Amino acid sequence: MAIIEAAGLRKVFRSVERRPGIGGALAALFSRTYVEKVAVDDVSFALQPGELVGYIGPNGAGKSTTIKMLTGILVPTSGTLRVAGIVPHENRMANAANIGVVFGQRSQLYWDLPLRESFELLRSIYDVPRARYLENMQHFAEILDLERFLATPVRQLSLGERMRGDFAAAMLHDPKIVYLDEPTIGLDVVAKESIREFISMVNRERGTTVILTTHDLADVERLSRRIVLIDEGTVIYDGSLERLREEYGTHRVLVVTLAETYADVTVPGAEVQSRELNLVRLRFNRRELTAEALIRRVTERYEITDVSIIEPDIESIVRRIYLEGYHEGAVGAPS
Amino acid sequence: MTAAGPAGARRPAFRIEPYVQFAQKAMAREATYRFDVFTNVASVLVRVYLLRMVWVALYARNAAPSELPLHAIITYSAVALLMGLVMDIDQTRLLHDKLHDGSIATDFMKPIIVPLYLFADGGGEVLFHAALIVPSLLLALFIVHIDVPGPFVLAVFFLSCVLGYFVGFFVNFIVNMIAFWTLEIHAARLIVTWITDLFGGEIIPLVIFPPLLQTIAFALPFAAMFSTPLLIYVGVVKPDRYLEVIGLQVLWLAVLAAVAAVMWRAGARRVVVQGG
Repeated sequence: MAIIEAAGLRKVFRSVERRPGIGGALAALFSRTYVEKVAVDDVSFALQPGELVGYIGPNGAGKSTTIKMLTGILVPTSGTLRVAGIVPHENRMANAANIGVVFGQRSQLYWDLPLRESFELLRSIYDVPRARYLENMQHFAEILDLERFLATPVRQLSLGERMRGDFAAAMLHDPKIVYLDEPTIGLDVVAKESIREFISMVNRERGTTVILTTHDLADVERLSRRIVLIDEGTVIYDGSLERLREEYGTHRVLVVTLAETYADVTVPGAEVQSRELNLVRLRFNRRELTAEALIRRVTERYEITDVSIIEPDIESIVRRIYLEGYHEGAVGAPS
Repeated sequence: MTAAGPAGARRPAFRIEPYVQFAQKAMAREATYRFDVFTNVASVLVRVYLLRMVWVALYARNAAPSELPLHAIITYSAVALLMGLVMDIDQTRLLHDKLHDGSIATDFMKPIIVPLYLFADGGGEVLFHAALIVPSLLLALFIVHIDVPGPFVLAVFFLSCVLGYFVGFFVNFIVNMIAFWTLEIHAARLIVTWITDLFGGEIIPLVIFPPLLQTIAFALPFAAMFSTPLLIYVGVVKPDRYLEVIGLQVLWLAVLAAVAAVMWRAGARRVVVQGG
């Protein structure tokens, strides 16, 4: 049975239209015209318990709006939503007990209090049994290396420390589901890796269902097997990362270092993507041509000293989908 | 909790513990601003001294109103300033701040009753400052003489203070809730502060206002904050009127609580519909 079910989810915001200038601002005091903005148009998906899904899309695609509806603090304009059997906005408190949230841009820790006291407060809010609390604290402190700054007020923590604190805070009550909204934003490589390690552990060892929204596709590549792509409020792809790579990652790039400078470089079946003196990048479709065949064609025509192949990365695939839209089967059906 | 049955749609049982903790943490937070504590006490003492000078000068040139002789009005002012240590706190400022920076959303994502959380946090802050009344009172006694009424009057005064505190809480809560719609509430807060200063009886006892102004002042809820307990303390309101004035406080408390509840519902609805 699915733990999260969203069907035809839609959210329309109504806001006051702003007219330019002081005159416009004054006019707005007396008469207002409203503009409607469709933040989420039609989103449907289902998640099984223990799944880890990357929820990705460009800025303004409706990711955060979806997350807010899932947490129950935003009422959908239409559509249905069930999280662990609960309609979130109808039963905010019961839903809140089931979920954990981490926002990269916003902390849920108590600003003035030492980190440890924030945890104590959360223990009380979620009614976590003392023994379980201590067990979790010890575990998290170890993995996230919290011990050093447990006594520091949250406002004095660095971003990396604060994020680690936020992760521990979100997991303290063993939620069934966690929503992670851009949890690695602004972090350095080491901190990112430790956060990813933690997410992976929580999902693997505790069976927590995870929805992860991010702009850092490395997060997705590292953590999730399934991704849901959203653009302009609509789901445009829902499936495995591999399938996306299969369908969209059709083009590879062969990087060739020529032994001498040729006036003109052309190779049938490949397109010259760029050329800097002796370094040539050849883009080719792997469904039409094997790398071996292409290298043979190159060596038949030119003297070369070195070759390497660049595989398509998820980032370029996603960028392409945002630009062109997603089509089932993409460029040429897979053979 | 994870143990919440297969459907799990049950609302978690109410527990007071988290709110007690919120209050305790708020007290601890206030205690970290130590400098503030000293300046607060010092400011009360300075104002007690200044007000005494003002009243002495005014009474020397004018006929004293029969119900408030000089020693009574000085007592009134000193007790009012001590009450102000608690009553003047903008205790639900937290709501305004949270609406302003949008962090109210994370509170709604927790299994807590948000207004009760705000009340607990404000209550913790207030309790901490209430503890300052004792040293302030002792120091104030060096500057002025303060009359002390009998135990019965004192008991009614304390009851009236508590009611006044709740009236003040709701007035403050309502002002900060305006931020649900406007985000910025500086002007509204200033206006309410002025009106409270004038019509609450904190600075000038309402009984020395001209008759028309008195009628207006006593018809407003602000009188329930300072004036009612203070007039009980100095004996202007006699025991035969206790039921009437306390009843009026309770009435205002009920009205303001109802207004606050309606506003909260509408405001919270705005957050969940418009996303804060």
